[in-house]
Amino acid sequence: MSALDVARAALEAAGGDAEAVAHSERSGLVRFAGSEVHQPTLIENVVVTLRVLHGNRAGVATTNKVGEDGLAELARRASAAAESAPPDESFPGLAPPAQPTEVEGYDAATAALGPDDQARLAAAAIDAAGDIPVYGFFTSAVSELAVASSTGLSVEQRMTDAGALVVAAAEGCSGYAEQTGWRAEDVDPAAVTRAASEKAARTHGAGTLEPGSYRAVLEPYAFADLLDYFSHDSLGALGLLERRGYLSDKLGERIADEKITIRDDPLDARGLPKAFDFEGTPKQPVLLVENGVARGVVWDRTTAARARDGAVTTGHAGPVESRDWGPLPYCLSVAPGDAESVDELAALVGEGIYVTRLHYLGVIDPREGIVTGMTRDGTFRIRRGKIAEPLVNLRFTVSVPGLLREVYGLTRTPSLVNSQNFYGDRYPYGVLAPAVAAARFTITGVGSKPGI
Amino acid sequence: MRDLCAAAVAAATAAGADYSDARVVLKREQLVAAKNGRVDRMTDAESEGIGVRVLVNGAWGFACDRRLTHEGAQNAAARACSFARAAAGRHSRALAPLEPRQGRHESAVERDPFAISLADKVELCLRADAALQAEDVVVRQVMVRARREHKVLLSSEGTEVEQILTECGAGMDCAAARDGIFQLRSYPSAHVGSSCQSGWEYVDGLRLVEEAPRVAEQAAALLHADPCPSGVTDLVLDGDQVALQVHESVGHPTELDRVYGTEASYAGTSFLKPNDLGSLTYGSEHMNITADPTTHGGLGSFAFDDEGVPATRTAVVEQGRLTGFLTSRETAARIGAGGGGSMRADGWNRMPLVRMTNLHIEPGDGTVDDLIAGVDDGVYMETNRSWSIDDKRLNFQFGTQIAWEIKRGKLGRMLRDATYTGITPEFWGSLDAVAGRESWQLYGLTNCGKGQPGQSAHVSHGAAPARFRSVQVGVRS
Repeated sequence: MSALDVARAALEAAGGDAEAVAHSERSGLVRFAGSEVHQPTLIENVVVTLRVLHGNRAGVATTNKVGEDGLAELARRASAAAESAPPDESFPGLAPPAQPTEVEGYDAATAALGPDDQARLAAAAIDAAGDIPVYGFFTSAVSELAVASSTGLSVEQRMTDAGALVVAAAEGCSGYAEQTGWRAEDVDPAAVTRAASEKAARTHGAGTLEPGSYRAVLEPYAFADLLDYFSHDSLGALGLLERRGYLSDKLGERIADEKITIRDDPLDARGLPKAFDFEGTPKQPVLLVENGVARGVVWDRTTAARARDGAVTTGHAGPVESRDWGPLPYCLSVAPGDAESVDELAALVGEGIYVTRLHYLGVIDPREGIVTGMTRDGTFRIRRGKIAEPLVNLRFTVSVPGLLREVYGLTRTPSLVNSQNFYGDRYPYGVLAPAVAAARFTITGVGSKPGI
Repeated sequence: MRDLCAAAVAAATAAGADYSDARVVLKREQLVAAKNGRVDRMTDAESEGIGVRVLVNGAWGFACDRRLTHEGAQNAAARACSFARAAAGRHSRALAPLEPRQGRHESAVERDPFAISLADKVELCLRADAALQAEDVVVRQVMVRARREHKVLLSSEGTEVEQILTECGAGMDCAAARDGIFQLRSYPSAHVGSSCQSGWEYVDGLRLVEEAPRVAEQAAALLHADPCPSGVTDLVLDGDQVALQVHESVGHPTELDRVYGTEASYAGTSFLKPNDLGSLTYGSEHMNITADPTTHGGLGSFAFDDEGVPATRTAVVEQGRLTGFLTSRETAARIGAGGGGSMRADGWNRMPLVRMTNLHIEPGDGTVDDLIAGVDDGVYMETNRSWSIDDKRLNFQFGTQIAWEIKRGKLGRMLRDATYTGITPEFWGSLDAVAGRESWQLYGLTNCGKGQPGQSAHVSHGAAPARFRSVQVGVRS
């Protein structure tokens, strides 16, 4: 039974005006630590969310019981919820029928990977380790998203994703690498381990650093993480409407260096393509920042209706459990620069620091785009234009727009950085980001040395 | 449910498992949220399935099936065994011995939260939302929630336990904005309020409608407050922020799987080492931390964990000295101490992990006013706004929604954008007082993340206001 079959069956059970979103997952994740497998997890599930309308009153219910009885019960609960809801004059109605643009994002060979293959690919990551033990996982999945509604809307997309993530770590040293893609053939677990191990080997004997503002090179992992956190408040319409985001009152203004252009590009096959959102609306690429000027945010039907200024949905409604954030850019993409390598970026920086990845980010002030966190698994000094001695983990506190206000350069080739941590139902998404060299990265504290 | 678990365990044994356990979980969650005068979310979600965990030749395997049928149970068991064989390492996992238990446990509930009609929940949210209206308030949000988890665990060693855990909670957030300043106030806690294993009487007791005007007034007042100045000063934290401080800088680092590095690829490790047990100075003599899954009303309360280990109260820090870890049967066997008891899974389709249950800081004496009276020049901070801590749980930075300066033992002007930072043992070493039992209460968090694939745990912390000397406050970019 496909996700679309489940959605249609739920819609039929509802009988009247309704929308059904079905989301299925078949995944395997082989997690390892200390170069030993310790949490191998196989998941199969299908979840259907039914929104029933009684006029402009809406009720929502969710189940994974997709047999006849389960769907009948689902329809009863959604209907009861609608009966209990007060009328909502701002309800924009259900999405009309649509024909989304065909996108890439499904690979039959990746979908065919079974538990033996997933175990073999995890073993490839483990076996590539040298003296430094590795911690991480290999995972692959096939997922389906389908939306059907009483308006005649009926859309479905099959997606695959695969990823290898490795932290190579021992006492006093650690390094990180990751590869993500919708084709497993684009993910080389052994190469990921080699990259993480090579990085870890360079972090022995990490020294400290005085807090202060430094020029910095951020690898794609670090840059993507910052943008992902910044986007939740500042690149979606809800943050704009609630005057919580950095872009509130700043659309049309210069907010970053002219080298910075940021899109949400769901159709880009280099990322994890998406055809439509969780309301069934076809996804559109959205220009968010163009040559440093704030151009827009992403919208769904609810926020567009609430704006009352002619705004229209761009197809960015998220799953029900993420709706508190409103519409979000799930396919962020930063325009690359012309640097051939991070070494070239280090040369542009001259004196500064080099950051591989970040850990445990927290938004201190969404309106100013201020984020704090720690560097991790590969922080180095840059001296005389070269990546030099290793540093301990550093606490940073930066305004993301402040970081991007003066940019020396970006690498030519972006990397796809996974942004999901596989909570809830599998919905692969990530950020396509180059490495960036910036003038200001503020260190506000000094942490421990790298490693276990 | 019991028969399905038995079928899964029998299938696992037949497929060569040396050990297996099967959990059938039925879960229902309800959420109603109002925002700016309209119902923003109203969801009613249920999920069911069986998860089977096996040890085959000393290697773990886990698989699950949403179908509650014998075919589904046997299928999950067979796949778990073949996955364990395929993903076998060069190791052999051992489990601390456990006397098999049989039992049944149910949360104490006076008013079943699922018996409260959705219409009543909507009305409560809308009334509280209306009471949050004030000048400069741009976003008002109120939510109520309920969850019931009915689970049966059966193991190949003879454990057979059934538990029905019911919880509910509520919270409100109020955002004010003016002249480019954005400020937030929440009640009773930030980040989706607070929850308790209880009936609807807990939500009634929060008195959302009555508290709302104060919350809105403070959010608006923060727009005119001065930013918290930077400097090293004395700090008094309210119980809510102390709870989060305990969670992040004591709870996670004492999870023994983190100590052994098995979370290194995601949540991180720990600054603690196994041989620190009994010898490491974690904080001052005023610091007493207890893990207690027997706490009445705690979100981490149960009779048995998800390995079937009976709930037991454990001292984690006594008078500033590390005396316990949070363990599984596997990690307890590895360290040679304890017998597990902290294994919890996020539903049927995730493998149990070492998680906090209820982790409390034990009360001291006096009131928050007494703590403040003991400060000549300092800051009092309330309600978490932001949090961040490094992978070893040493270097942290937290922000709170609101603060007041303390001058000569009295609260002075209100301050906004307050943050503080520190290094875990140094910070806890600066603890010089915890308020007394009358100020001590449970704070229930529902957003504790860990694991790959990710799992979210519900955890409670008993905490009271506390005072710390010479802390770095007011960090900005």
